Amino acid sequence: MNLMAWQGSIELGIIYGFMALGIFVSFRILNIPDLTVDGSFTLGASCSAIITLAGQPFLGLLAGALAGAIAGLITAFLQTKMKIQPILAGILTMTGLYSINLRIMQKRGNVSLLNIPTVFDPMKQIFGNYAKLLFPLLLIAVVILGMTLFFKTQLGLSIRATGDNEDMVRSSSINADFTKTVGLSLGNAIVGLSGALIAQYQQFSDINMGIGMVVIAMASLIIGEVLLFLGRSLQWHIISVVIGSIFYRLIIMFVLNFNPADRLSSYLANAAEGSFSHHLLSFIIRYGEVSTSDLKLISSIIVGLALSYPVIKDRMEIRKLRKAGEQNAATH
Amino acid sequence: MLQLTNVGKTFNAKTPNAKVALRNINLTLEDGDFVTIIGGNGAGKSTLFNAIAGAFLCDTGRIYLDGQDYTFLPEYKRARCIGRLFQDPMRSTAPSMTIEENLALCYQRGTRRGFGIGVKKSDVAYFRDRLAELGLGLEDRLKTKMGLLSGGQRQAVTLLMATIVTPRLLLLDEHTAALDPATAVKVLEMTDRIVKKDHITTMMITHNIQSALELGNRTIMMDEGEIILDLKGEERENMTVEKLIDMFSQKRGKKLDNDRMLLV
Repeated sequence: MNLMAWQGSIELGIIYGFMALGIFVSFRILNIPDLTVDGSFTLGASCSAIITLAGQPFLGLLAGALAGAIAGLITAFLQTKMKIQPILAGILTMTGLYSINLRIMQKRGNVSLLNIPTVFDPMKQIFGNYAKLLFPLLLIAVVILGMTLFFKTQLGLSIRATGDNEDMVRSSSINADFTKTVGLSLGNAIVGLSGALIAQYQQFSDINMGIGMVVIAMASLIIGEVLLFLGRSLQWHIISVVIGSIFYRLIIMFVLNFNPADRLSSYLANAAEGSFSHHLLSFIIRYGEVSTSDLKLISSIIVGLALSYPVIKDRMEIRKLRKAGEQNAATH
Repeated sequence: MLQLTNVGKTFNAKTPNAKVALRNINLTLEDGDFVTIIGGNGAGKSTLFNAIAGAFLCDTGRIYLDGQDYTFLPEYKRARCIGRLFQDPMRSTAPSMTIEENLALCYQRGTRRGFGIGVKKSDVAYFRDRLAELGLGLEDRLKTKMGLLSGGQRQAVTLLMATIVTPRLLLLDEHTAALDPATAVKVLEMTDRIVKKDHITTMMITHNIQSALELGNRTIMMDEGEIILDLKGEERENMTVEKLIDMFSQKRGKKLDNDRMLLV
């Protein structure tokens, strides 16, 4: 793991951090699991790629964000006006977007931007070799600041209250349908921006790049909360999400570098031929190497564990109580 | 000021489970009226409130508030002029937001919520004064999350939230029933004080017949979706709990039967 790998992971962490911020708005602020993200991420990327091809990379970013906002608007419409369950509404939009994305990319599965100028080229003149790190960092700082301020406005407060207690919101003369629509559009706009940046960063967009993005974003969100968020303030919560995303990429870098063959071979030599541990170790060495194809499984496990943590904790406590009770009964 | 004409509502109409919840309700409230509402379980008291607040649309009839037709207005628009408290203190507050944020949200009741500052400094001073009036020491805890307050504290703040912009009509749906007796008395006193001070037209559902007769200037009794008794003026002043129960049996040919009704 050299410095380049570290820098690359942090860059990716920041760019995917936008996506995590988008999920933060829908999942944490509005309390809605929004699956549109899988589609709006690719939507942002495909818009950005096509417009970059046409020579307007900055416009590509803007278009990616705008397209994401429209995707969020559609999901919100299905949820609020048509009363479709939030998860299903997201799936409907996401599925429809697959075809739309293919159309945007002119019926090609991927669009390459090799040797095409992206936003990072002009930025090189300002930031030098760190353009790919500093430009997204600057942009995300602006987004974080914007979000922090926005969620303290009257409209922002109303959106936060909608996720907290919809009954209360309606009885305070707030139109909950409207606040949900604004929230979902905002969230998906930030997700679209993330996709738009990624397309230009990795110099291609792919029709399947959005698969599993919801889970990855949630994993980042949860890692950030566990690491930093101490139930304090909104701005810390928002910042912790981005830091979580960076940590997620660093964890992945470490996991990908984990080659069990190197680490376990000495143990294998000590284990007796034919024993259970020998079989187990050689199995792990043979099949255990982690590759990029395992990332989605890892993210799912992280999110699954994090979401089931409260239940697991409860069970453990009950078990402890019961044991203490039995011991008490035995001594008396 | 509030006028209900022939309001009716049937749930699950045209099915074997059809239930007539409101039957031909005709009710007119004068400005500044404080009406207490009593009646057994399923008498239609809360349904009446839901109809007025707009939780559902009525099958028949019209609802007017200050001459404006409310019949088909969505709930959030009616909320501009109608404040409402529920039995459950959790229902009317946002638990993970602070006291000042909750108050600020209600303080903007009826205005367009745009990009202005959510919690203004000048407003906070006003919130502090109003909270101090409650006498619960909450004026020093403006930045405390609502979810950390006790039920009684939450209900007191909810009362303040519902009345911080003086509503035209205040609906109190057994708002003290979930509190311990001492706190309930306190919250009821606060209610009476605020309602009198701001001259708010109020409707209050209660299970305590005694306090229904003591509080306010008019008492309504409901049964099976109908208003069966409407007491005001002298008749109400001379009414006792026993007489009321007798009147009910005479009218409906059955006993007033409710395990939650307090007959003291």
